[in-house]
Amino acid sequence: MIPLWLIPLFPLLGAIILGIISLASSDSQKGAPEFLLGFIGLLFPLLSFMAVLSLSFGGANTPIQETLGTWIDISFLQIQFGFLFDSLSKMMLLFVTGIGSLITWYSIGYMKHDRGFARFFAYMNFFLFSMIILVLADSLPLTFLGWEGVGLCSYLLIGFWHKDSQNAIAGNKAFIVNRVGDIGFLIAMLVLLSVGGSAFLSYEGLNAGLAGLSQAELVKIIPALALAAFFFFFGCTGKSAQIPLLTWLPDAMAGPTPVSALIHAATMVTSGVYLLARLSNLFVLVPSVLSIVLWIGLLTAFWAAVAGLFQNDIKKVLAYSTISQLGFMFMAAGVAAFDVAIFHVFTHAFFKAALFLGAGAVIHSLSGEQDMRKMGGLIQKMPITAIVMLFGFFAIIGFPGFAGFWSKDLILEKLFEFGAMGPYLYAFALLTAVLTAVYMGRLIIMTFFGSYRGSLEKSESIHDPSFSMLVPMLILTIGSAFAGYLWATLIPGANWFEQTLAPVLSSAQNHIHVQSVIHLSPLVFALVGTVAAFFGLFLAWFIFNRPVPLSKDSSDPKGFGASWTFLWDTIHQWTSVFLVKMASWFMSVVVNHFVLFVQWLLVGIVEILSDGARAIQVRKVRLQMGLSFVGILFVILIVYVYGGAV
Amino acid sequence: MLLHLLVLAPFVSALLMLASSGFDSKSTARLAIFFGILISALSVLSIVLGSQSTEAIEWFRLPGTSVPIFYSLASHGINSWLVFISSFVSLVALIAAKDSFGLHYKNFSMGIFALMGAMNGSFLATDAVLFFFFFEAMVLPAALLIAAYGGADRKRAAMDFAIYTLVGSAPMLLALWYMLSLSSGASVIELALVAQNLPSSTKTLLGFSFMLAFLVKTPLFPFHGWQAKAYAEAPSPLSAVLTGAMSKVGVFGFIYWLLPVFDLSASIQNKVLFLSLFTALYGALVAMRESDAKKLLAFSSMSHLGLVVAVVFTGSTTMLSTVLILMVAHALSSSALFVLTGVAERFSGSRKLQEMGGYASKNGVFGFLFVFAGVASLAVPGTIGFVGELMALISFWEFWPTLVLVVGLCMIFSVVYTLRFVQAVVFGPLKKSKTPCQRLSVSDALAVGSLLLLIILWGLQPNWISKSLQNPVEITTQNSLQELESEEAVLAEPIQVEVSQDAF
Repeated sequence: MIPLWLIPLFPLLGAIILGIISLASSDSQKGAPEFLLGFIGLLFPLLSFMAVLSLSFGGANTPIQETLGTWIDISFLQIQFGFLFDSLSKMMLLFVTGIGSLITWYSIGYMKHDRGFARFFAYMNFFLFSMIILVLADSLPLTFLGWEGVGLCSYLLIGFWHKDSQNAIAGNKAFIVNRVGDIGFLIAMLVLLSVGGSAFLSYEGLNAGLAGLSQAELVKIIPALALAAFFFFFGCTGKSAQIPLLTWLPDAMAGPTPVSALIHAATMVTSGVYLLARLSNLFVLVPSVLSIVLWIGLLTAFWAAVAGLFQNDIKKVLAYSTISQLGFMFMAAGVAAFDVAIFHVFTHAFFKAALFLGAGAVIHSLSGEQDMRKMGGLIQKMPITAIVMLFGFFAIIGFPGFAGFWSKDLILEKLFEFGAMGPYLYAFALLTAVLTAVYMGRLIIMTFFGSYRGSLEKSESIHDPSFSMLVPMLILTIGSAFAGYLWATLIPGANWFEQTLAPVLSSAQNHIHVQSVIHLSPLVFALVGTVAAFFGLFLAWFIFNRPVPLSKDSSDPKGFGASWTFLWDTIHQWTSVFLVKMASWFMSVVVNHFVLFVQWLLVGIVEILSDGARAIQVRKVRLQMGLSFVGILFVILIVYVYGGAV
Repeated sequence: MLLHLLVLAPFVSALLMLASSGFDSKSTARLAIFFGILISALSVLSIVLGSQSTEAIEWFRLPGTSVPIFYSLASHGINSWLVFISSFVSLVALIAAKDSFGLHYKNFSMGIFALMGAMNGSFLATDAVLFFFFFEAMVLPAALLIAAYGGADRKRAAMDFAIYTLVGSAPMLLALWYMLSLSSGASVIELALVAQNLPSSTKTLLGFSFMLAFLVKTPLFPFHGWQAKAYAEAPSPLSAVLTGAMSKVGVFGFIYWLLPVFDLSASIQNKVLFLSLFTALYGALVAMRESDAKKLLAFSSMSHLGLVVAVVFTGSTTMLSTVLILMVAHALSSSALFVLTGVAERFSGSRKLQEMGGYASKNGVFGFLFVFAGVASLAVPGTIGFVGELMALISFWEFWPTLVLVVGLCMIFSVVYTLRFVQAVVFGPLKKSKTPCQRLSVSDALAVGSLLLLIILWGLQPNWISKSLQNPVEITTQNSLQELESEEAVLAEPIQVEVSQDAF
């Protein structure tokens, strides 16, 4: 049996080795040979993936728990370094390490000739290490270590090309907004600690503790649990870019495209959903918080889908689509269908990674052009990339048979069955699904159809990427087509995914019984979903299949599009940022100067008095000496007179 | 013996440095660093050996009192760690100053050694007068070094620093003298006994006199007027020592010489707690707008230490380990940042953030260390700062849950100003530099690297710090307390010396 700690150890080693190489060669003009660095960079994630594979399919199906040692042991606070490999972490690890390896492979071609090649792969490996810790940890504090670790990598990779200050500032924003969420995570841990002690901080301890409570005890601590659940979800809105902390993700597109694919689409941003699934036993006890999750998910999905319509930057469209899809995942979690949420995380990882890698290939061959108004007609020049993106496109809009079709339909179905409110929730989500097809259709049409509108002189130089970039793209394409069959509702018996997750999630999901008002067969949902997808596609074709006016201005949306897109930025600006800036101004300009003024005044008075006493040159030092001498005499006098007399 | 060495060896080193060559700064530096390593090794040894104490040697008798003043030292967990901090941070400063001081290195190292000896003395002293002697003695070498080797406005900064801290501690001298005239000795317990029998108004007044000295030294709002200027004008290696080690003397004073001696009322303690928290917020808010790199770090230090003092006054059961971990965390990360900022200042020839930038693209190792040190000061899990702030959050949670939000705000603000700072110094387009942005010297990289390594190491194994606090000193203190009680049979009530749970 492979010990669990090997899984995170591999990428950690990779990060350390590559980091040392990067630092050692940072002063020379030319770095180490790229093929060697690429080999090391890919080797360790692959090793880790193979370790996960052999653990998942080679061993017994019982959860594996492993404790490495003590982290914190201070009075009542005991935290271990422990790993838990159950079916939930297995599922997450499989695609985290698998897709992580694929995207690392792709990056070897994408980052070619970049001076920071070694540094890039060091960060990627360190990211995978942190992500594995996040998923594999058996306690909340250790998950938090991974949680902030991935945030740190995200910060470093967004600002990877740091010569441009804008990139570094986007990285800062991601870190700051995430830190706001992370305070929520910390507070939630404090609440759990105060309710159940250190035991409640480990997942097994928490589940056992909650299960062991009697009804009366439970009622007493429900408010505390609700508070904890609320703050955990607040943490998730930061990491998974939900309302209100979603502003950082579109800016995060400043990083290299493989980073956007891996961190800001496939893995890191879904860790909020993972955390909710991990804490499902806690969340089902507090339905009020779950309904907050549901509504935040619904609103975020809708808002981001509309925002996606206004973007001209191809990566920004994909960023808003990621936010929107994450909203779908939270909707599922909000109706206590955690397995469905994780299933959508899983399928989404494939098709969104394929879309991002395809977009990366387009950007790469257009020498860094990201504005879709300067694309068009690329299907003839880069057909394989077009096919990859079309597959991803079909998956995301829920074209029958593709991965997103199965997972999104499951979400819609679960929404519909959620009590009396269900049909309305369903309708709202369905509208968002139609919008998804519209904005994604717009992306595909503007990029691949029509005629080329760009400024590249030799449009012949536009071509499909090299073999090393294509292979990972094609593998992800296959995933976007077929990942859904792991849980295909229409095919009896094809629910391997559900069965695998059941040991971890079923107890929580059975806890909530909401009777469906109307019973419909899965076929009806599939049909309605298909109609929605086709309708959206038709709309997109109808609206956007026309010549795009040439424009030379920035790709940022304008007018209403801008107000909608930057709605949350504006809200942050006028609530928190403005207040903090005001407070900062007040403290540093008003209060600090006042304190210094008072100080100056006191010193001034002393100096004036002393000037009267002896106005001799070099007075300062002598004056101070003299004053302290007088002071000491005074003190001695006082002690002599009053000392011991009380 | 070991404790005597820890206090006297720095002074002896300073004298020996006097004999070293003033013209060969390289060999002088080697000698100084050798002494520094030796003393740091001794301080590690004193942590390993646990609590010890020396024979009390009578020093002199204070006029007006019948109390003999002893030269006696004792280590009891928390102060052996602080001695380690002061020795180690001084060592780092000695290494970092190697390249920039040239022929002045000899004098600089003498000053640092004298400062180190004074800090070690004030941490280890068991006699209040001895403590006060070292507490004041610290100011002299620090002020001289600022005045001699500081920036453009160094004279003013040194003067402000000296006057402010000396005036701030004058009331303490007065109060101490008064108490000694009533006391039979100058140890914590004897002072506590005196305070016990005083009318509460007198006691409060004396308590405030003590407190003022520590408020100025730490410093807390509104007694921070000297700090930003002194830290900014001081040569960076010295700033590293000032913030990394010297500021801890103030915190230590609160823990060891204020709380156990004066049984301060809850309302006073709460007021100090809120003042500290306000300081934490205030420092962070001012740091956000600061455009002088070293002043920014000064306010960031103020913010972090405000949090530390606030934890001291929560009275939480884990107060000592929390405060110690926070202090170690702050010492390591802030001194690393100060040393690196000194290097950046050398590159740009200015302390202004607008004139720095882009060093990461030219100097990879420097960029890496700078980002690392910056992030390490943000309490990211895996660093010791996280353990400290988690424990601090727990202490506040026990005290009053709403305070957690204030602390959370501080944590968010610290990310805002630190990232802005990191971005301004190492990212963006390369700014024209005064001296070419040459490689970081190996010794500098090693010095800062060792600080960062300790941040990670103790972040993953904080128990090495917290466990060393649970030692038998507690029992000895309790015993001596009982002996005293039996001696002082006249006392009707049992003595209530506030001894916190895990040490002393």
